[in-house]
Amino acid sequence: MRGLSSFAWRSLRARRARTILTLTGIALGVGILFAALATNASIDRSVDRTVLEAIGRADLRIAAFQETGLSDATLTAVRDTPGVAQATGQIERRTYLQATLGSGPRPPVTLLAVDPSLDRTVHDRQGLPDLSSDGEVLVSEDLAREDGLAVGSTIVVQGAAADVTVTVRGVLPGNGPIFDGDGRAAVVTLQAARAAFGPIGLSRIDLTVGPGVTPAAVTQELERRLGLEPYLLFTPADLAASLRSSTADFQATTALIAAVTLFGGAFLIFNTLSMSVTELFREVGLLRAAGTTRRQVHRLVLTQAVTLGALGSAGGIVLGWLLAALMAGYVRSVAGVPVEAVEVPLAAVVLAIAIGVLVTVAAALEPAWRAGRISPIDALRSRPEQGPAIRARLRWLAVVFAVIAVAGLLAWPSRVGDPALVRALLVYGLLLACTIASPFVLGPLGRLAGLPFSVLLVPEERLARGALTRDRGRTALTVGALMVGVAMIVALAGVAQNARQAAAAWVTDVIPGDEILTAINPVPVDGATAVPEDLFVPGVVRVTPIATFAVAYQGVRLDAAATIGADMLADGRLRFVEGDRTAALTGLDAGGTILLPRSVAERLGLHLGSAMAFQGAGGKPIELRIAGIIERGLPGSSGEALVIGWPDASASLGVVGADFFAARFAPGETGAAARPRLEAAARQLALEPAPLDRVQGAVSSALGQVFGLFDALAVVAVIVAGLGIVNTLTMNVLERVREIGVLRAIGMTRRQVWRMVVVEAGVLGLVGAIIGCVVGLAAGFLMLGLVAAGGLGVAVQVPWLTLVLAAVFATAVAMLAAFQPARIASRISIVRAVQYE
Amino acid sequence: MPPILEARDLTKRYRLGGEAVDALRGVSLSVEAGEFVAIMGPSGSGKSTLLQLLGGLDRPTSGEVVLEGATISQLSDEQATRLRRDRTGFVFQFFNLIPLLDVTENVGLPFTIAGHDPGNGDLAGRVRDAIGLVDLAAKQHHRPDQLSAGEQQRVAIARALVTRPALLFADEPTGNLDYTTGSEILDALWRSCVQRGQTIVLVTHDSKAAAYADRVCFVQDGRILEEIPLGRREDHSATPLISRLAQLGL
Repeated sequence: MRGLSSFAWRSLRARRARTILTLTGIALGVGILFAALATNASIDRSVDRTVLEAIGRADLRIAAFQETGLSDATLTAVRDTPGVAQATGQIERRTYLQATLGSGPRPPVTLLAVDPSLDRTVHDRQGLPDLSSDGEVLVSEDLAREDGLAVGSTIVVQGAAADVTVTVRGVLPGNGPIFDGDGRAAVVTLQAARAAFGPIGLSRIDLTVGPGVTPAAVTQELERRLGLEPYLLFTPADLAASLRSSTADFQATTALIAAVTLFGGAFLIFNTLSMSVTELFREVGLLRAAGTTRRQVHRLVLTQAVTLGALGSAGGIVLGWLLAALMAGYVRSVAGVPVEAVEVPLAAVVLAIAIGVLVTVAAALEPAWRAGRISPIDALRSRPEQGPAIRARLRWLAVVFAVIAVAGLLAWPSRVGDPALVRALLVYGLLLACTIASPFVLGPLGRLAGLPFSVLLVPEERLARGALTRDRGRTALTVGALMVGVAMIVALAGVAQNARQAAAAWVTDVIPGDEILTAINPVPVDGATAVPEDLFVPGVVRVTPIATFAVAYQGVRLDAAATIGADMLADGRLRFVEGDRTAALTGLDAGGTILLPRSVAERLGLHLGSAMAFQGAGGKPIELRIAGIIERGLPGSSGEALVIGWPDASASLGVVGADFFAARFAPGETGAAARPRLEAAARQLALEPAPLDRVQGAVSSALGQVFGLFDALAVVAVIVAGLGIVNTLTMNVLERVREIGVLRAIGMTRRQVWRMVVVEAGVLGLVGAIIGCVVGLAAGFLMLGLVAAGGLGVAVQVPWLTLVLAAVFATAVAMLAAFQPARIASRISIVRAVQYE
Repeated sequence: MPPILEARDLTKRYRLGGEAVDALRGVSLSVEAGEFVAIMGPSGSGKSTLLQLLGGLDRPTSGEVVLEGATISQLSDEQATRLRRDRTGFVFQFFNLIPLLDVTENVGLPFTIAGHDPGNGDLAGRVRDAIGLVDLAAKQHHRPDQLSAGEQQRVAIARALVTRPALLFADEPTGNLDYTTGSEILDALWRSCVQRGQTIVLVTHDSKAAAYADRVCFVQDGRILEEIPLGRREDHSATPLISRLAQLGL
């Protein structure tokens, strides 16, 4: 067998270009898979590290629900609870640092205020500098870099009560102890924070439990004792789960793209080995005649496959590691998870190589079986057969798809929920069904795709199109690989466009203004009417105060927003699905009612007219009746917010003031004149102004970053398909040597032969693009189904520009891939070709 | 009148595993318009190489081929291709039809390649005529795999004749056929020569096929050993040729 193994190896070496092409395809597929696995592992590690940095040794975290925060009385009650060893409070606020002379306005900073003496006992901050006085601050690495801060620098923290000057005592690695945000964090003492913001409550209390006491026991005791203010209890595991959920969709999509790219790779392997078998027809016949058993021939082909799979997968690991570094950057900037170093987990290396080899072997089964069936007599007497029947090819395809699906399930990120898995399987099934169905539409679609080429290149187009239907099975597989790549681009573009539009539409649908004025500290709003008078500059007709906060409903944290119903009514904001709009919005200002976004109503199974009981300020329960179901709620911190009137929010739910104001310009007023006046007035009141379209732009660009990465990965899938096209066309050319020779003999020029092969690729690419666009749209709708269920109301839009660009890109990749096979074809010697058997 | 085809002192040398092999060693030949010439010789004698040089499919190592006044070796690859397309026709031993095209499309292929639509006007008439000449009008929409070997070769002849070439080259056109089918093919070639004045150069190792020609050039070891004039005869008996070859000891 050693001799036969070396035969397998020599056969691969003899066809170096094709072997390298195939290895590249496998490497790209495995590379994306490994990048997805490595990024997921890095996310896991980073989440654990972030949780550790944020919560340290604490066993439980008590988070405040209200703007007023948790009072010192609550902190004392926690400390007095049996089983609690240590408890320390923290305040977290968003604020701005005073701009230094000559620098422009900087993004906001997350300020974390701690009790330095106790903080160290609860939080694990080994090796980090300590705050020794109220005049000191620790800044995160990002903040120090962006604002040019170093130990000894002085910064001025803008507060609602006073501006406080602090000196940088140290720089914290990464994001510092801040859970989310954009890395701009500063840590000061509680005293310093209260000097800046006034006597505000604690945002949270972290506690450790005593020896021999379980956090569960302490939780029970705390629930019995803490009745003063609403709160929410978290364990470190809860925090980790919440961070991980923010990256779940990212992980699911990368896994799906990896599967699609692997399919392209599998197709390449299949074609390469098929070509080997066709080329070695006589050799295999001779081996069989000399006594080689079928099993030995199978082993010969499978040895080639394993060699290709192992080498390609090894290259894929290196490629994947580089890709993972890129993806980590995206996760960092988009999901808010501070992924720093890319992990190379051994399990992911083993899994990626195993899947790479498994897929390769699956792809090799059919060629191996075919090689084994070569009859010695036929091989020595006749020309090679033209490949197996379509049915055999499609059977093989189903097997490879199934293997990749099983591999996908093995590699599926465990924390990504069932709906995402169902969605991925549906998309995958759709791609399989369409690839299997594609041979049956090759004829008509080929004619359609040939039209653009037939305008200028009539004979080339006619002959090229015919060549594609010669082996429908092979053409279908080539088209299939290209189709799935294009489909992914189109599907992702569809989802991205819809998500962007939905997000932008959401903002305009619910915000009653053209300009958003964000407050550093809640601005007290007296009842439902009092808004700082200074904001009513000429050209501004309405200023609506809005507060976002959290409410506890049956132990679940829900986002809520307080607003003025009359303003919403006058501005025409909020679309009602159920309930009388006028009555519901008027009722909001009278108190006792609430509006529910449709997604929340569906999730909680609540209906119009039902009552919802909340835990109010001071532990007093409050009951609100559902007066309307709205299509979309106001944006909350983690989804859509319930809409509550100011009277209930301020009187019963502890809301002390507005987080932001929405200002509406007068009709016909473009804002060009009024906007500068309003912005100047807002800054006087320590409010940060931002036009609504900038808010939309920020949302859109954040989404753009996520989908940009997905698009890049899908483009890799198209490139892998392009490598497959090189293989297919080379095979088509080699099978037609004599035919091309005759064409040359009867007067076809070299240039015409070259053009014929390139047009063949163009038609192939365009057919793949047409099917890919249709399938991509369908896959996009499938994906959107889940996004819609997740809370974003999505109106389906067709990404026309992407459809055109994807079609042009796929056709261009295909035609580019045809250059080498076309060169081979145009150089065929007529004399040898016409004598070719 | 000058000959339609003239070969002057043609040599062709191949390299085979580092060794030089002379396939042709100074061949000169001329063919008059309307003449049917057979090049005959045993396997490996250089007859197919000679036909490839005469037809412009390959270039000689030395010497020149003049077709209708044009010296092929002085033409670029593109010009030689156009000359082949417009002024010559080829019939090969392996029928070499395009499997995806039906009979009409295969026959019209030279027009298609030239960028013309063989389904329109005068060209469609020429395609019909060529198919009629080889008696395949009833099967004009059949694909090659639906035709017998002889029918496929007749399609190849029709394709070679459709452009009304100055010269038709046929390389062992009956080599792959049984006796009866082979005779049908040779009859078709002869008819085109007699009825349409088609000049034909036929390469064969078979004396029965060569007996259709007006003149037979016997090739051996890369040289023309003997030219045997047979004259135009309705009767294609091979006896005179075989007797002459026997006289010469060939």
